[in-house]
Amino acid sequence: MDTNTATVEQERAAPQGRVNTIDYKMVTFSLAGKDYGVDIMNVKEIAKAGRFTFVPNAAPYLRGVYNLRGDIIPVVDLRVFFHLPAEKKSDEALENMLILRLGEHVFGVVVDNIDKVVGIQSSSIQPPHPIFGDINIKYIHGVVENQNRLYIILDVVRIFAQKEEEKPRILSETPSGSYYAPVTGPISVPLTDSVIEARDEGGGTDLDFIKQTLFALKRFAATPLNEAWVNRRFEEWKKIQKSSDLQLKNIEDADQYLETFYSPYSGNFWGEDFIQAILQTLPDTASRTIQVWNPGCGKGFETFSFACVLRKRYRDAQIKIWANDSDLLAISQAPNMVFQLDDVPEYFREFLVKGRNGYTFNSTIKDSILFEYHDILNSNPFPELDIILARDILSFLPPVDQNRIISDFSEKLKGKGLVILGKNEQIVEEGWTSLGKDPVSAYTRKE
Amino acid sequence: MRVEYINPFVEAAFNILKEVLNTEVRRGELYLKSTTMPVLGVAALVGLAGDVEGRVLFDMSKSTALAVASTMNGEQLTTMDELAKATITELANMITAQAVTKLHDLGFKFDLTPPALFTGDNMEVSDHEVEALIVPMEVPEGRIEINVAIRERA
Amino acid sequence: MKTKQDFPSINERTPDGIKPDGTPYRVLVVDDSMFVAKQIGQILTSEGYEVVATAGDGEQGVEKYKELFPNIDLVTMDITMPKMDGITALEHIMNFDKNAKVIMISALGKQDLVKKSLLLGAKNYIVKPLDRKKVLERINQVLTKS
Repeated sequence: MDTNTATVEQERAAPQGRVNTIDYKMVTFSLAGKDYGVDIMNVKEIAKAGRFTFVPNAAPYLRGVYNLRGDIIPVVDLRVFFHLPAEKKSDEALENMLILRLGEHVFGVVVDNIDKVVGIQSSSIQPPHPIFGDINIKYIHGVVENQNRLYIILDVVRIFAQKEEEKPRILSETPSGSYYAPVTGPISVPLTDSVIEARDEGGGTDLDFIKQTLFALKRFAATPLNEAWVNRRFEEWKKIQKSSDLQLKNIEDADQYLETFYSPYSGNFWGEDFIQAILQTLPDTASRTIQVWNPGCGKGFETFSFACVLRKRYRDAQIKIWANDSDLLAISQAPNMVFQLDDVPEYFREFLVKGRNGYTFNSTIKDSILFEYHDILNSNPFPELDIILARDILSFLPPVDQNRIISDFSEKLKGKGLVILGKNEQIVEEGWTSLGKDPVSAYTRKE
Repeated sequence: MRVEYINPFVEAAFNILKEVLNTEVRRGELYLKSTTMPVLGVAALVGLAGDVEGRVLFDMSKSTALAVASTMNGEQLTTMDELAKATITELANMITAQAVTKLHDLGFKFDLTPPALFTGDNMEVSDHEVEALIVPMEVPEGRIEINVAIRERA
Repeated sequence: MKTKQDFPSINERTPDGIKPDGTPYRVLVVDDSMFVAKQIGQILTSEGYEVVATAGDGEQGVEKYKELFPNIDLVTMDITMPKMDGITALEHIMNFDKNAKVIMISALGKQDLVKKSLLLGAKNYIVKPLDRKKVLERINQVLTKS
């Protein structure tokens, strides 16, 4: 059976808008010159890493352990595991690594090159034949052809069952005897659950797969928070892509899809139009102090912009802003940013002072901001807040955490406090009143 | 953790380790960890007070602690006796003190308390609502994790 | 005929730790760390100084000084110690004996601590980690300056 032709015929036959026949997606990579694939459901993320801590007396395919943001995970070199030739990389060189999650266990897997995400019909997967015998057949789930390339799909559950003392519970427990590992753990819940349901109903949709890819590649979680935008964008995307494959195959595609999501002046000083829109949303208050939490502040442009706006608006109050980001590289330069005058919009210039290398913000503004390297998913020890400025950060948190953080916002806000989200983010939960007008998405708690 | 506090700790760790162990020092990537954290076997703890409250924890395996103490004493130590323990706490003290000195020059007034040493398996250090910055340092003797948890005084 | 014994050999030099009268300088080491006390001790004895006592905190340090007075030529004083810190101990010792020679040895290098110590009467301030050469130079300076 020529899978390729069958697919093309089916594509021609299916009118646009009908549920696509793609119902299996895999991340593809190469080992010793051959193409392999792994079910995307098992892939937690992709990394480039070097210097694994060597573990003595371990099997030769165990390259060592790797510190993945605090979790120590074992790293397996699939080339060694399958006795394939591997090119020697120098000590300093970074290896390509897939991070797999199987149940509760996370593993790193070193491969030659990571290629892209490929969507196929699961019915086109053929059982392995001994002729594909570079590697032991028991580790192969099947093979499939796609766009003139042959992919060997690995049964990673079985490969890694070897490493566990306990019996591999995963395979036997799956309902309907299907191969796919069940969803476990708090993080992957709603999004992947809905994809599995869709699959069980006889086909995931294009949009579901786009959402899944956005999460895998960009950590963008499509939830009710940004649903309106995701759907609008999908309609636009269909027009942009016209008749060719709608799927996001790589990071560039994902970036392109997300292009219209971001709030105005992201990563930059705010322009007058946005400043006016913000000013319209800010309430009158006689408060002596204005306490602000600004998570996801990035390099700090948003924070400084807001600090100046607040300073002008609330002339007599003391402003205190807690700005944080979990990207150390971005935030580490924030407290001491130096600018050339021309790069700073007129609105902010009254707050600048001249230094040796350029202009910096004056001490009134600087002292009002506390920049912290902090992960919003850890506990957030902030006092009662008047304003929370969280543009485009919630959408990049896993769905369960999005809800948790919104509750956290609710708890921390003072009675009439204000939450400002990204242009395309909306709180749909009960208990919030919408205040803002596009492009400002602002809410207060319902009394 | 306040961005300005980070470099002083990283630099102090690098400088002191380089000087007392007389060796190349490699710094791993910094990351954040939340409240309860398991400990590798030997932990030296130095308290911080002043404009902030918190502590700095120096975390390493027993074999690393012995190797480091041996190098610092110029003799091979085989058990975590009083001398070995005193050596590790002094290392923790020197690194924290140099960081505190640098921070002082930047305008942040901290003080440190005399260090304490904990040893044992499966220890957990629990902090109430504070996340920690981890600075992993690699030396020939092994890996030392510097775990800094600082909270601004309201 | 003069023999070799009659001329001092140019290769021999009197260690810094030995006073002109041939006896060693007597040093009191105050530090709560066994490791540091050992380190300072090794540096001192290698150059002929005699460590007559060590104390593990400021309170003990003051006691020992008073006990052994006037036979202490030099005190090395750590700052961060339990019970009584080095600055307070320095103050007590200077009150007791205005001619006491105390050198602060600390991991902290804060300007205000240095100033405070010197104002209170400390003769010098050394920042850890200890460099053998530097320590010996500074100690020698303090003891030979009159």
